[in-house]
Amino acid sequence: MSSANLPECNPVDISDDDVMAAMKSMQGYIDITPADFKEVYRLAYALARERMMKAFKAGDIMTTPAYVVHSDTDLIATATLLAEKGISGAPVTGPDGGVIGVISERDFLRKMGADQEGSFMQVIAHCLKNKGCVAAPMVNRTAGDVMTAPAVTATAGMPIGRISSLMSKKNINRVPIVDLAGRPLGIVTRSNLVNAFCMLG
Amino acid sequence: MIYFAKMKGHTQSPPRVRTAEVLWSWIGGFLGIAAVGLIHYNLLDQTSLTMIIGSFGASAVLIYGAIRSPLAQPRNLIGGHMLSAVIGVAAFQFTDGIPWLAAALAVSVAIALMHLTKTLHPPGGATALIAVIGGDSVHQLGYLYVFVPSGLGALVMLIIALLVNNLAPNRRYPEFWI
Repeated sequence: MSSANLPECNPVDISDDDVMAAMKSMQGYIDITPADFKEVYRLAYALARERMMKAFKAGDIMTTPAYVVHSDTDLIATATLLAEKGISGAPVTGPDGGVIGVISERDFLRKMGADQEGSFMQVIAHCLKNKGCVAAPMVNRTAGDVMTAPAVTATAGMPIGRISSLMSKKNINRVPIVDLAGRPLGIVTRSNLVNAFCMLG
Repeated sequence: MIYFAKMKGHTQSPPRVRTAEVLWSWIGGFLGIAAVGLIHYNLLDQTSLTMIIGSFGASAVLIYGAIRSPLAQPRNLIGGHMLSAVIGVAAFQFTDGIPWLAAALAVSVAIALMHLTKTLHPPGGATALIAVIGGDSVHQLGYLYVFVPSGLGALVMLIIALLVNNLAPNRRYPEFWI
């Protein structure tokens, strides 16, 4: 599924009235019917969008280097790193240095009583019901224990249009960018995409 | 059913132009045809040459009335008339005595050639046809018909178009030359 099929990604379509009004505002006889103009517009717009989506690649917009945690890292160190860096998730690397998963706030929340979608309010509700801190059982666990695996990764050459649809489809917020050996090069988050689409105007 | 449904049309006519556009089109049309008419009746009258042919009326619609149209650009105006004239004269000479065939070939080959050379100019079809049905005075010109009246007439009308179409502040001509 391409991003164009998602309802929120549909471009504003022009109407016959728009075309007629535009033609009226131009001086002179415009030698084209409104329907033909719309056809030219739609085809040209699709080409322009295609070009923009392909022009920017993951490597152009990724944050680099990405903060990564090793799968052996305990959750206290992991949570401290995320807090210090002000990020909500990081790729998790395995013994050979390749990305094997992603750990994020959502994984922590899930361990603390939230369901699959992981929201902080669910954790609050869980805490109040159980009269206690629900983070305690995680003390001796490692990043590898709670991460989401396998990781959804991409290469630096992937166009940002495909990164966007990947995030929508998998319902994730970050995609580690890896080299051919699977080692992390950087990370593309939703905010990287927002910035990139701003640049596209 | 789709075949017949297509005959109903599917869109609307473009909007009417402003009154100023009507006025400028009129001025261009008047001066353009006046120019070729003056040359025809005052300069060439004593000779066997002719300067004014019916297809110039059609060209006037385009180059003074629809000046943004790709069909109305200098490449199309000059190229369309001259190439079609060549085809028209050739069609008449190669199909000696079969006027319907000469006429059909003249127009159809002219359309194809104008498409291939990106010089499509509807009045060119008339220029090709006139080479066949224009009578003895046209037939006697032979390939001179390509230059006078076709090429020269188109050139005079182009000069008038350049002079008149650029007078109005928000009109411009041409869109492109070649």
